[in-house]
Formats: sequence, C-alpha cells, structure tokens
Amino acid sequence: MPDATWPYLDAHQSRTHEPTPYEDKLAATLEEVFTEDGHELTDVIRGLNARQVHAPDGAPWTEESFRAEMHRLGA
Amino acid sequence: MTLSCHDTAEHIYATGLRNQWHPVVPSSFVAPGALRKVTALGEQWLLFRRADGTLAMLDDRCPHRGAPLSLGKHLGDRVACWYHGVEVTTDGTVCAVPGLPGCNLEGKKLVTSLPVQEAGGAILAYFGDEEHPEPAELTLPGPLTDPGTDAFLCYAEWNVPWRYAVENLLDPMHGAFLHHESHSMYDGDTTAKFRIRETDRGYFFEKTDQRGVNFDWVELCRTGVDWVDLEIPYPPSGGPGGPFGIVGMVCPVDERRCGVFFWRYRRVQDWQRDTWRFLYRTLIEQRHWEVLEQDRVMLEALPADADQRENLYQHDLGVVRLRRLFRADAEAQHH
Repeated sequence: MPDATWPYLDAHQSRTHEPTPYEDKLAATLEEVFTEDGHELTDVIRGLNARQVHAPDGAPWTEESFRAEMHRLGA
Repeated sequence: MTLSCHDTAEHIYATGLRNQWHPVVPSSFVAPGALRKVTALGEQWLLFRRADGTLAMLDDRCPHRGAPLSLGKHLGDRVACWYHGVEVTTDGTVCAVPGLPGCNLEGKKLVTSLPVQEAGGAILAYFGDEEHPEPAELTLPGPLTDPGTDAFLCYAEWNVPWRYAVENLLDPMHGAFLHHESHSMYDGDTTAKFRIRETDRGYFFEKTDQRGVNFDWVELCRTGVDWVDLEIPYPPSGGPGGPFGIVGMVCPVDERRCGVFFWRYRRVQDWQRDTWRFLYRTLIEQRHWEVLEQDRVMLEALPADADQRENLYQHDLGVVRLRRLFRADAEAQHH
C-alpha cells in the first residue's frame, strides 16, 4: 500500500538495532581514547585495556580481536 | 505528459527545475514487490518495484479516468488500477483493459515513465519536460562512487521550499552561529571574507581566511543532478580519518516542501572505516541529527516571502549566484 506519512524525520537511519549496554560503553570509551590517547591502532588497544574495557571474550584487546570486533559492529 | 513546457518560469522556480535528475526518496522506501506514492516537482508519482528489484517511476494517474495508480494492485510486472482494473506496465503502456478486451487503449503508451537510477541508497529520477524526454547525462558525486570513501545517507522531509534548503548549503557562515552549540561547528571565527571560485561543474563559495575549522567552504556541482560537496572537521573523539564530508541534494516536493538528502562521508578504510561506522551508528548519527534539526527549525520558521524582503551582505554572494543560475534555468525552461 502507498505510504502517505509526512514528514519522515528519523534520527536513526543507520542502525540495525538499539545499541546494547556493551556497545554504548565501548563507543563512549573509544571516543575517550581517541581524545586522550591518540588515533593509532596501538593507542586504541592500550587505551581500551588501560580502562579495563575488555573484548567480548573477557580477555584484553589485541589488534586482531579489535579489528574483528569493529568489523562485526561497523561493517 | 505531466511536466509541461508551458508552465511559467515562476512555477518551475517554485516546484523544481526540469530537464535534470533529482533525488526522490531513499531506495529502502520501496521494497521489492511494493508500490509507493510520492510527490516530486509538484506532481504525483508512483514508484513501482518488481520482485527482482527493478524499479520504475510512473505518473500516478490511470490513463482511463485519472484514478491514482498508487491505489492499485501490484501484479508483478504491472499495476492494475483499482477503479476499473486497467493494467499498465512499467514503461507506461496499457497492456490490458479487463472490462473491454480489445479496447483501443491497449498497446498504447499513455502514462509517463521517468528514467530512474539508484545510487548511494537513493532513487534518482530524470524529470524531462515534453521537449526533453531523453535523460540528461548524469555524473554521480565522486564521494558516492569512490572506493575508499564510506558514506551513510540521512534523509529528512522538511516543510521548506526546495531552494531555501539549497540556499542554506550555499551559506557556510550560518555554521558558526546556528550550529555553534554542536559537536562539530563550535570553533573558528565568527567573521569572514568569502570568494566565489568557478569550476567546470559549478562554483566554490569559500572563506578566504579560514579552512578546516568550521563549515568553511562549499562547492555547488551541476552534473546532471544538482548537489553540493562540503567538509566539516570532526573533533578528536571522531577518531582517525580526518574531517567528514557531506554530499547534499534536495528533492523539490512541491512549492512548500522538500526532501533533503545528506550523505555523511569519510575517507576511511579497514579498521578505521569499521570504527567510524560503529561510532556513527552508536553516537555520532544522533549528534548530526541534532545539527540538522537546527536547520529545519530555522528554515521552516522563515516566512514565505523571506527572499522578497532581504538586505544581503558579502556573505550572501553564494546564495545570490545560486539564485541567478536557478532563475536563468527556470526562464529557459519556460516556453
């Protein structure tokens, strides 16, 4: 059926789901790391681990686990 | 035909320029096997997508008695008008008149069918007038086609004349004021000198004394579709990849309404791309939305005669040039 809704005003057009608490925390911490520690991958891994924000398996982040998780969440 | 050469230049200026491409709605608004009614350039249209994804755009008017085809039934490769069952194919040909088989309407192409293309998650259509039915050459914006550039489309519907929405983009100085309380446009001088720099596809309108701090430049591009390119720095929290860009397009819906298309793009690859996309979905999109809402609130509050009673200054050269181009086109398209 035709959709006659006007206006379309949707703040979230890129999400496939509401962020989980884990995703919210990871995103906020990443912003903090980018602001305080730098933009290199090594800065990011060190910054996340220093803040005790762990990879999904509970282990400290490695470059491999960070790349894989970002690919899962951002691809 | 729907778009006439005999419309006044004033009507064309108010409802959108002809003989070029315009964005219509996001591709996702028309699912496979679905119909959707849309308004564009002051006229009613039907978007029709076959199950295999092929898209068509038809005048939303049954050639029999004028009933909206968008109220009709999707029959796979054709639409059947609800009123008397007249069947129209995606190229606008009447293929069956069930009430009177053999009727002389059958086999005739009586419904306008616009050329369509999809790019960057949006539907673009070519709106030719009676004298220019063949689509103009279309060059898509580089940031939407370059590998190595990643973009998210944000689409919104505003109760704003289309040209006010475009003028807003050719007015970078509003960034330092209207968007001062924002995540990306809080910085830089609140005074500036501007210049116009011509290009082979349009023109730049740019500050002469500041770059890379706020919304400091914009390029109008006329490449078969009118669009703008601009760049705004992210704060360090945005991570690697430098500034984000915006490709902006506006769909003239009717004299008072428009659809705005903003592709937020960034030149990022690999983990930087994935991280930006994750942050964008989780945190940044909401902040961008709040900035866009500031534009909507201001533009919707402008009086209808806003452009009739102005006192412009040097910062408005980009807008003045834009109006001159659009006015000239509207005059040329009126016969």
